[in-house]
Amino acid sequence: MAVESTNQPTAIPRYPQWQPAHTVVSTFVGSKVSPPAPQPAMGFFTDTSLCIGCKACEVACKQWNQLRAKDPAWTGTSYDNTESLSAIAWRHVQFIEQISPTPLPPPLPLFDRVAAAKSDGLIPETPPGTALPFFNSERWLMRSDVCKHCANAPCHEACPTGAIIRTEYDTVYVQQDICNGCGYCVVACPFGVIARDDYGTLTARKCTLCYDRMKDGMEPACAKVCPTDSIQYGEVEQLKARARERLGFLHAQGVKEAQLYGVDDNILDGGLNSFFLLLDEPEVYNLPADPPRPVNNVAPASFWTIVTAAILGLFTILFFRE
Amino acid sequence: MQETRLPAPVEASLAAIRNSLTSPELIEQLATLATGYTPEPERELEEPTYYDYPVLKEPTWHWEIIWYFFFGGLAAGCYVIATVASLFGSKEDRATVRAGYYLSLLALLPCPPLLIKDLGRPERFLHMLRVFKVKSPMSMGTWGLVTFSLFSGVMAVLQAAHDGLFGDWWGPRFLKALPRNLIALPGTFAGLFLGSYTGVLLAATSVPLWSRSKLLGALFATSATSTSTALISLALRIFGAPASALHKLERLEWVALLLEMTWLFRFLRGSNRAGRALAGSGPGEQGPAFWNLVVGGGMLLPWLLSTLSLFQRTKTRNGRGLLVSLFVLTGGYFLRRTIVKAGHTSSRNARVTLWNAKR
Repeated sequence: MAVESTNQPTAIPRYPQWQPAHTVVSTFVGSKVSPPAPQPAMGFFTDTSLCIGCKACEVACKQWNQLRAKDPAWTGTSYDNTESLSAIAWRHVQFIEQISPTPLPPPLPLFDRVAAAKSDGLIPETPPGTALPFFNSERWLMRSDVCKHCANAPCHEACPTGAIIRTEYDTVYVQQDICNGCGYCVVACPFGVIARDDYGTLTARKCTLCYDRMKDGMEPACAKVCPTDSIQYGEVEQLKARARERLGFLHAQGVKEAQLYGVDDNILDGGLNSFFLLLDEPEVYNLPADPPRPVNNVAPASFWTIVTAAILGLFTILFFRE
Repeated sequence: MQETRLPAPVEASLAAIRNSLTSPELIEQLATLATGYTPEPERELEEPTYYDYPVLKEPTWHWEIIWYFFFGGLAAGCYVIATVASLFGSKEDRATVRAGYYLSLLALLPCPPLLIKDLGRPERFLHMLRVFKVKSPMSMGTWGLVTFSLFSGVMAVLQAAHDGLFGDWWGPRFLKALPRNLIALPGTFAGLFLGSYTGVLLAATSVPLWSRSKLLGALFATSATSTSTALISLALRIFGAPASALHKLERLEWVALLLEMTWLFRFLRGSNRAGRALAGSGPGEQGPAFWNLVVGGGMLLPWLLSTLSLFQRTKTRNGRGLLVSLFVLTGGYFLRRTIVKAGHTSSRNARVTLWNAKR
């Protein structure tokens, strides 16, 4: 079905025409098209408390973005055979089985002694997050992982070609015709999201937040297909408000272990435009709690380098002078 | 054919040395001592991760980058030493200047092809010059390399003109009339940058080993100095040079190695648990090569040998000098190799990555 475009293509200005001084350079090099008008920042809110592990997001993402399949292999790590995000997997559903070896049940007291048994701990407290008193805390966590579209994206800061840009929707996008596959973004990303497609384009690839669909006013394929609205798409500020509201609701319901990741925690000095509601510590989901921002190392590393160069330079001059 | 056999005690002691050099126990002890982190396997196993799948993506950098780091450091160091020798040195340092400028260009030549080959799309290497991005060390490095190439090339040509390699006509005469030191001076800054930015580049990543201590730039700067001093003195010893010129280089080598060992120790201390990828003996950890070839053979041994040379005022110690140069050059190469390879190991380790992100 053809979808009508909501954004008119930007008109290409005719030349010659009067230019302000700072744009004269770009008359000769660089873009001749004025940038698209800024839009509100868009992002994902992935609520893992709603995820049922159906992997519809993985499939929809692969289909829409025409990402090839990886060689099928049984990993033995629960229902997860995708393993991690990669150049050809931009959504990845994790399955975390928190199932402990069954402990021996406590000897059941007589019913008239239940109250006493509860008070002296013979009957354990109902564990948090358990809707019914099943006397165990076993659970199966699922989470659909995706690019975080960081407010200060390390891949974007590292990119030496300008291939990685922020779009008018404040998302992080890799221009495939510019990227030369240097691999610096791959080691810059603290979440292991962006990867070089070594068996395909040989360029860095990752989630685009379905930039092409956004341009046409549609929501990203994964959010569209998610049957439980575990993946929600919208304006970042509205989504963050919704995430806080959801967290309050879950806490009120007794799900005390619920926590937000990337909303108010100022990860990478600015938070994430694609954030999560988690039901355990971030590490359980392989998420770094508070990753250092790579670009922050440039100044201290340069400082010690300059100190060293000065010391060695002085010694060199000293030795050659005499 | 009969096997040549050494006397039994010699055989035994050689075997003992061989065994102790590769003994995991010794390497573990050294790693614990240097990093200040004692591994606790039981507690580490209790840390949560997602099936131990790596948190980070493995670097795409392999042997091309290792050789580039090595040659880039040599090119930069040789240029800077040659320029300082030309500015501050005396007559007998002319050989140092000559060797420095020629070797600088020679070491620089393989750099661009190595870097271009390493790209996913080598035909797009010029895209690096689309932007000038101060906060991206790779962008700055590209511009630094371009700038340095210009100076290194020009100075090698000027040196060749002075050496009469182009004959004697108006062209070389014009080149000889140019103010050599004035032209060389700005290149020194490009050289200082090129010799050390690679360490800053690695430090500005998410790989725990490379980034945690923030000292790789300083370490690479000292290594560039020690390896290029070794290369110049190697050339001087082969082609002949005054003993006083060699003596200056020996002293520089001694200081550079001392500073290098200091930074390496600070680097491992600062890396703590992340440093084990470089110093430890576990799977993928680079301990054996690191302690034997980098620390032992590449720094301690040549440093002790040059300490001896500095205190002995004998004229003929060419053999020992050659040995020092070869040890330092091998050590400098393996320093980069083990650091890059250990970076791969570090990026695969989910537990260390998650530990590194806790503040």
